[in-house]
Amino acid sequence: MPRRKDFKKVLMIGSGPIVIGQACEFDYSGSQACKALREEGYFTILVNSNPATIMTDPGMADVTYIEPLNVDILTKIIAKERPDALLPTLGGQTALNLAFFLMKQGVLKKYKVESIGASVEAIACAEDRDLFKQAMQEIGVDMPKSGIARSVKEGMKIGLEIGFPLILRPAYCLGGSGGGIAYNQEELETLLSKGIQTSPVHQVLVEQSVLGWKEIEFEVMRDCVDNVIMITSMENIDPMGVHTGDSIVVAPAQTLTLQEYTDFVYLCKKIIRKIGISGGGANIQFGQNPDNGKIVIIEVNPRLSRSSALASKATGFPIARVATKLAVGLTLPEVMNQVTGKTTSFFEPTIDYCVFKICRFTFEKFPHAERALNTSMKAVGEAMSIGRNFKEALQKGIRSLEIKRFGFGADGKDKITDAMLKNPDALLFKQIEDKIRIPNDERLFYLRYALKAGLSIDEIFALSRIDRWFLQNMKQLVELEEKIKQYRNELVDEEPKMPAELLTQAKADGFSDIQLAFLLNTKEAKVKQLRKKSSVKPAYKLVDTCAGEFNAKQPYFYSTQETKDEARPSKNKKVVILGGGPNRIGQGIEFDYCCCHAAYALKEEGVDSVMVNCNPETVSTDYDTSDRLYFEPLTFEDIMNILEVEKPLGVIVQFGGQTPINLAVALRAAGVNILGTSSENIDIAEDRKRFKQLIDKLGLLQPNSGTVFTFAEAQKVARDIGYPVLVRPSYVLGGRAMEIVYEEELLEKFIQEAAEVSGEHPILIDKFLEDAIEVDVDLIGDGETFVIGGILEHIEQAGVHSGDAAMSLPTHTLGPDILKKLREASYRLAKELNIIGLMNVQYAVKDAKVYVLEVNPRASRTVPLVSKVIGVPLAKLATKVMLGKKLKDLGFTEEVIPPYVAVKESVFPFNRFPGVDVMLGPEMKSTGEVLGIDMDFASAYIKSQIAAGQKVPKSGNVFISVHDRDKRDIAFIAKKLKDLGFNIFASSGTASVLEKNNIPAKVLPKINEGRPNILDLMKDGKIQMVINTPSGRIPRQDEVKIRSQVVLYNIPYTTTIFGAQATVNGIEMLIKKDLGVKSLQEYHKMKCKKVK
Amino acid sequence: MKAILCLEDGKSFNAESDLEAECFGEVIINTAVVGYQEMITDPANAGKILVFTYPLIGNYGCAPKFSESTKVWVSGLVMKEKSKMYSNWQAESSLDDFLKAHKKPAIYNLDTRTLTVYLREKGPLIGIISTLEFDPQKLLDKINKFKQQPIKTKLAEVSVQKLYSLGKARGAKIAVLDLGVTSGLMRQLETLGFSLTVFPYNASAKQILGSKPKGLVLSSGPENDCGLETVAQNIKPLIGKLPLLGVATGGQVLAKALGVQLIRLKFGHRGVNYPIARPGTFKGEITVQNHAYVLDNNSLHKIKEIKVTAYNLNDHTIEEIESKKLKMIAVAYNPVSAGFNQASAILIKFSKLLGLPKGRQARR
Repeated sequence: MPRRKDFKKVLMIGSGPIVIGQACEFDYSGSQACKALREEGYFTILVNSNPATIMTDPGMADVTYIEPLNVDILTKIIAKERPDALLPTLGGQTALNLAFFLMKQGVLKKYKVESIGASVEAIACAEDRDLFKQAMQEIGVDMPKSGIARSVKEGMKIGLEIGFPLILRPAYCLGGSGGGIAYNQEELETLLSKGIQTSPVHQVLVEQSVLGWKEIEFEVMRDCVDNVIMITSMENIDPMGVHTGDSIVVAPAQTLTLQEYTDFVYLCKKIIRKIGISGGGANIQFGQNPDNGKIVIIEVNPRLSRSSALASKATGFPIARVATKLAVGLTLPEVMNQVTGKTTSFFEPTIDYCVFKICRFTFEKFPHAERALNTSMKAVGEAMSIGRNFKEALQKGIRSLEIKRFGFGADGKDKITDAMLKNPDALLFKQIEDKIRIPNDERLFYLRYALKAGLSIDEIFALSRIDRWFLQNMKQLVELEEKIKQYRNELVDEEPKMPAELLTQAKADGFSDIQLAFLLNTKEAKVKQLRKKSSVKPAYKLVDTCAGEFNAKQPYFYSTQETKDEARPSKNKKVVILGGGPNRIGQGIEFDYCCCHAAYALKEEGVDSVMVNCNPETVSTDYDTSDRLYFEPLTFEDIMNILEVEKPLGVIVQFGGQTPINLAVALRAAGVNILGTSSENIDIAEDRKRFKQLIDKLGLLQPNSGTVFTFAEAQKVARDIGYPVLVRPSYVLGGRAMEIVYEEELLEKFIQEAAEVSGEHPILIDKFLEDAIEVDVDLIGDGETFVIGGILEHIEQAGVHSGDAAMSLPTHTLGPDILKKLREASYRLAKELNIIGLMNVQYAVKDAKVYVLEVNPRASRTVPLVSKVIGVPLAKLATKVMLGKKLKDLGFTEEVIPPYVAVKESVFPFNRFPGVDVMLGPEMKSTGEVLGIDMDFASAYIKSQIAAGQKVPKSGNVFISVHDRDKRDIAFIAKKLKDLGFNIFASSGTASVLEKNNIPAKVLPKINEGRPNILDLMKDGKIQMVINTPSGRIPRQDEVKIRSQVVLYNIPYTTTIFGAQATVNGIEMLIKKDLGVKSLQEYHKMKCKKVK
Repeated sequence: MKAILCLEDGKSFNAESDLEAECFGEVIINTAVVGYQEMITDPANAGKILVFTYPLIGNYGCAPKFSESTKVWVSGLVMKEKSKMYSNWQAESSLDDFLKAHKKPAIYNLDTRTLTVYLREKGPLIGIISTLEFDPQKLLDKINKFKQQPIKTKLAEVSVQKLYSLGKARGAKIAVLDLGVTSGLMRQLETLGFSLTVFPYNASAKQILGSKPKGLVLSSGPENDCGLETVAQNIKPLIGKLPLLGVATGGQVLAKALGVQLIRLKFGHRGVNYPIARPGTFKGEITVQNHAYVLDNNSLHKIKEIKVTAYNLNDHTIEEIESKKLKMIAVAYNPVSAGFNQASAILIKFSKLLGLPKGRQARR
């Protein structure tokens, strides 16, 4: 049926900031949807608060709003734009929930907006636990026994009837947040009160545990004439009990019989029809008892999901694009399959390889967090790998994760050595068993230890409930490892010796050069030579949706060990772009944005783009972003193999974050042409000593510093430069193990921590400039012309990692003298480093002096948001510059100062790690960002806070407790709050300061000294905001408790005095006037100031 | 041990085998991910060398209840990786043991994707699997010798020898002409509550009518078999007399009986993901297919009573024809169960052609 003509304007809601459970997969699906809508000629309006996305690029939709995602703001946008339809299925749970609440509050009806893709009835049926349960009963689909609790009491009754263990799932929560497994009454009570609190509708499903059952997922699509297709099945290696977002997943399912598969398909069709999705897709999760095949349904997501992004990338089937076309009334047979170029989307993809998804965790950032995995998702990113067998996919998957592991162990990085495993003592056995029994991020490696320690497959199955088929495959890898080890130290003329046949088998089973080098006791380069000599090289095979049945037009590639290479290197000029790999804290969607822009720029310049990446959530791994895509791990070996096939004129390493930068030296040494700023100059910027010389030469300032290896050296340096000092390891991402040390007593502990992370590199000690203002400058250069993209002023004082700090563009407190100094310093650095491409400089401003903290000769995290605020695509320009174009010719020669204000705020995953302190410091902890834009700073700031999920209050009670050095500033803030009508509660110390300033405050007792204390008040919902600045590096127990509770009860909080100031000013603005909405396109039409 | 697959045009592929073996057959490709046991026991694949595009085979083992017949009919299996273990609660043996019991060779570690792409481009080829002979010329000689063997019908092997009955004794009586029927089809007919009489492939129209059936189902089976012409002649008198359903090869036989020609595709439809669509609508179905021959459009158009009711969306070949007047349906795809032993839609449609009194209507 042709597309619907009864509507013209479609509103799309994005998923907001990157958080655990909602990552860049929704940028991928949203971007595909935008393209699909415009292809069909619809006027598209997009709303998303996340500026780092491709979808919010001004060209993606007709009208783009970077505004907070809540009912209030969306209502305003709907009233202004008057869309005919709303497409809520591509923006994750956020968009789906918003659509539901817009319906509930009558907004959709009032403005005559139809929800397409999934009707509000369908959303309700899938998301409302009661309705869903009833629907499943009606079609005879079994569910685990359960009941819905609206109170703790009700939940306890249901739970005790069903019996332990129990699974708790709060309704309308993404990524299972607030859920968990209860093994006893006490745990049940705790989880219930937490879950009821977390759920926006205050409902928790209390459910019979199907722990240890198989978890099987299907991606299903249905169109308006009831054509239903299965995109793929997926099998979780971690059985039920681990959130699917944290599970290792394979596609297709490996251990289902045809009959079981058919039965699942039958259920999927029944379910998608019952839910009523008639123009879109759904992800359906089942549990299956491995002992008798009994099937229960776990949940249905009536929308694009993380799993559907994975299914898309695993099969080549663009689910988001097709779902969008179905949403506007087209049928599957009408939508072409662009990968084959011949067939339509009405078919079921079939694959001739094995796909492996593995998750990236960041427990090292939250050392106090529980590492055990459960039904609340904790992973921050994922990697996908493809192989011709499970073993190859597994090993490639592990090395795709970039956790410094290069396969299934045997890479020299194993915590438990072979020698220890030969004669394991009882203690070691216990440790291994525990690590296998309780799911955790290291379980995979412990499975190997278990196999090596002699545990049988059945014993490991009994402990882990991981299917024996997977375990047996792992065992084969361990056996092969032993076979390879027989050739250890058998050097012929110093070259390793190993039969070509065994080498081929090792490669076919995914062993990396690094693993082989470790097993053969030689170097990676020697293994590479051996490969060359034995002519063992990878073949590239296709992801073509059809297992080779058709000659695909637009496939993508993966490496394997086979007889025929199907790579299709073109004869055109081409450039390889190295992507950023799995999302992690410090490296995420911002870099993917830059990589995509590099591909777009290359296309515009008529150069073939070749993308290498392994993150299935991204736009960069979409089949039509680049000319050729290699779905491969980002390691030296894997990249070199691709370069040997493609022979590009150069490689772009500036855009993928730290991953490609870390590889730059090795690639350069291997003779690879790195485009842009020379690797010599990259080295000057990255090498501390050479960088210091540069700073001295340019007459710039740097905080005093020293490099040390030992505590004794550190002591001396710290005394020389004076406390406080900033301690940091070299070559790390996101400020890993960085600390501010105020006194010598604490130095030793942090030096130890830093030394562990730093490895053979020195530890850096800088003078810490207390209360300085930090500034980020993004700059672009072509070797001749250098132009500042943006100067961003941090809101929080120095000491908060720039990835976590809120920032304002343009700056809002810096005077013209300082700005002049900042500009001068930036241009001189850029000239001296002969920057070709992008550069980011971090400064600290103190006492009217400008100190250079750091220079990064690459795209920074702020490039996407700066590009959007100033309306200039910096990454695209940088790519063109790297190809030899000049900024003059590209028309960008002057810094742009917008007449409006944009404030970036960061979003943190603290709610996933209960009990973790929410204090900010030099180690980055945020997962995502939002942008607030308005005509004045206060409004922009408060928008950023609302967008970041803070429930900013307009009245009520505020609790204040601050560090001594903040007590001067707090008086003004408290006074203002009082004037705005808030009641003040305070700790005794803070209260006495306030009283001296004539601000009455109610004193609350310390937590252990009386009740009701602050915790009680928060629990009772009597506190609407908390201002608490930490009292020192080792926080007091009271503070930690308060700060972890604010997260639990989702109370707005701020931990810095400057943040508090900005928030209170924003609240004042909020009380005075209503927040308005304006599209990016409207902002860009305003006249900008230019600075020569 | 080392093994080889050599094609009649001289192209060969190295592989490995656990058993000594030598076998011949047309090399066919199936793109399904699951269902290896069903495929190899389906009489329709008799005498073929079957290649799985999915690289991991044997994962969930074998169990007698999954067999489509009592024998393994393919002459050999070709796969990328033969699973060293199986894991499923229903499994009773490994694929290896199952094949050993049926004395059928499986070769593995072969670049099945390259083989698939090769056959896609070259069209149908005969091949030999061997662990004994590796000399290219000698292998080709063997293939030529195989090709020169007198052509015999496989129907005699795959079909029952004597008529037998099963299903509900009190159900509506349906005759099944066994051209290599699968237990999957029989199960569905039983689910519909029929009383079934299964006839050998060479049964005459008179014999069939003699059992007083309400309708006749012509089963799937080996395609392009030399015996099918006779079958078509045998059943020709039944057209218009009895509601008829032809399934896969059975459908081709029906078409032949009507005078429709068959055409060979360069690359057969073999897999579980084939879309068919109803002419003039956007509605279709995903079907399981296993055929290399399709009905010729031109010769079909000459028969006025026949309407095309579904075509393959990928290459627009005919997948389903129907005649209301003649009360007959022929499908090129395999009407497999929709799950939980539910009968497929076309069987239900057929049951409605039978003119049964209400209450005896087939149950869904």
